[in-house]
Amino acid sequence: MNFISPGFALFLSIVFLLYWFVFKKNARSQNILLLVASLFFYSLFNFLFSGLLIFSILFNFYIGKLIENTRKRTARKWLLASGLIVNLGILFCFKYFNLFSSLSFVNNFNSIPQAENIVLPLGISFYTFQVLGYIIDVYNEEINSCNDLLIFSTYVAYFPKIASGPIESAKKFLPQVAVKRNFDYALATDGMRQILWGLFTKIVVANNCASFAQPVFENHDHYPGSTLLLASFFYLFQVYCDFSGYSNIAIGISKLFGIQLSRNFNAPFFSTSIREYWQKWHITLTSWMMKYVFTPLSFSLRRFKKAGTLISIIVTFVAVGLWHGAEWTFIVFGLLHGIYFIPLMLFPKKNNDPLSHKQTFFFNLARFSKMFGLFLLIMLTCIFFGSRSLAESFGFINKIFSDSLFSSMVWPPFTSVFRTFITVLFIVILLATEGMQRPQSHELQLAHIKSPYLRRTIYIAIILVILLFGSVMHINFLYSRF
Amino acid sequence: MEKNAIVEKTLIIIRQVLKNEKIEWNGELTAEEINGWDSLSHMIIITELENEFKIKFKLKELNKLDNLDSLITLIQSKV
Repeated sequence: MNFISPGFALFLSIVFLLYWFVFKKNARSQNILLLVASLFFYSLFNFLFSGLLIFSILFNFYIGKLIENTRKRTARKWLLASGLIVNLGILFCFKYFNLFSSLSFVNNFNSIPQAENIVLPLGISFYTFQVLGYIIDVYNEEINSCNDLLIFSTYVAYFPKIASGPIESAKKFLPQVAVKRNFDYALATDGMRQILWGLFTKIVVANNCASFAQPVFENHDHYPGSTLLLASFFYLFQVYCDFSGYSNIAIGISKLFGIQLSRNFNAPFFSTSIREYWQKWHITLTSWMMKYVFTPLSFSLRRFKKAGTLISIIVTFVAVGLWHGAEWTFIVFGLLHGIYFIPLMLFPKKNNDPLSHKQTFFFNLARFSKMFGLFLLIMLTCIFFGSRSLAESFGFINKIFSDSLFSSMVWPPFTSVFRTFITVLFIVILLATEGMQRPQSHELQLAHIKSPYLRRTIYIAIILVILLFGSVMHINFLYSRF
Repeated sequence: MEKNAIVEKTLIIIRQVLKNEKIEWNGELTAEEINGWDSLSHMIIITELENEFKIKFKLKELNKLDNLDSLITLIQSKV
């Protein structure tokens, strides 16, 4: 059941009404409803995999308690190790088995090691990382283990975030579901606005970008370099708007239930360095990787100074790539991002602002050129992200840098000059809105606009744009396959 | 070693690593609030502090730091 479907709208309405009118008595009854609804939602994708989710909940709940209650250091270490092995083992079996079993891929980059025989359980990468973070935090005594199985189950299975995150830390989520939630009209309407913006970015921007990019990526041999260049531009915005759209919808839905999820994107294309970009792109995954991969690794390699930090950052970004899937294209995607950090580490720039909360716009040319240069570098990595094999990626890039870059455009099926122009126009509107709204918690938080008529006009205009220019051809969310 | 001396040396290291001479001492400040202090620069600062004060931190101790004051308290407990 996709977030953008009549079935989900009905499901959400029923759960919302039951939550605030029938199960409103206390935190326990609210959590019972959320858990039942979440397991129902999950079982619609694959009933059998609900069993795996329940196993993950039970295993991590009890291993967390065991780690906390064990005093002997060696025993605690062994318990943590077994927790890591079981969680990563399950993830490995479903996600990475084929990559490591098909050793022939080392000699043949044309082969695509995909999990053809193994179906991937929905959201496994997201919820596994959450529970891994939980048991590591308990081991490090950063948090106490959760004493209530119902609360812990709600944390892991919560339906707005189970399919594609955000990857929530237990420290932030558990206290919210431990207490009774009271209906907050302002929070709920804010959630509705965030859902509306998510729908705009997904249905209007991402899906229209997909109409151009998808057929080109699937058949790049048939198109000249000029079309491939435009397709890679559209593909980057497809990925961004698809996932940020999903995240905004998920966060907005959660606000309807009085639970705040973490922000996952914050205008990443306004970044002027790769470091800043990753602080704004898939923020919850970056934070997870930095805390549980980069920090321990760089800590253990700190005697090697900059070299240790560089090795750690490259390993971390290869892990980010691998998190997306068991394909060489994702490994190269991660590796490139890691490599982009090298100049930053070797030649650190002087800072002028002592505090980090200052927001600057791109009015000066130097800042704009840095943003544009970074955008091109990200676009290059996106070609690997969107291709089915390394051979395809290199073929794609070769063609962009060939004479055919200057030949006339070949339009993919079902696209036109007008449709493409409209898509670019919506990308410009999206970026302008993001630029103006960066100090806000999301793009449609318009409290600073005093006139209620103007605010309502904006909402109605967005709804009309969705109805008139939305595309339902690529309705599934890209990140639900991770 | 006195707290003031630790603060002074720590501030010099932070300014050097973050390449920002304008950073002023405020014990309440967290790493996120200081421009340029992220996971990358964090480890360089930690290494420099270890060398300066001839101490060794544990990762567990670093994970529990809340702000600059807690960093100073941690250093003080080791020198």
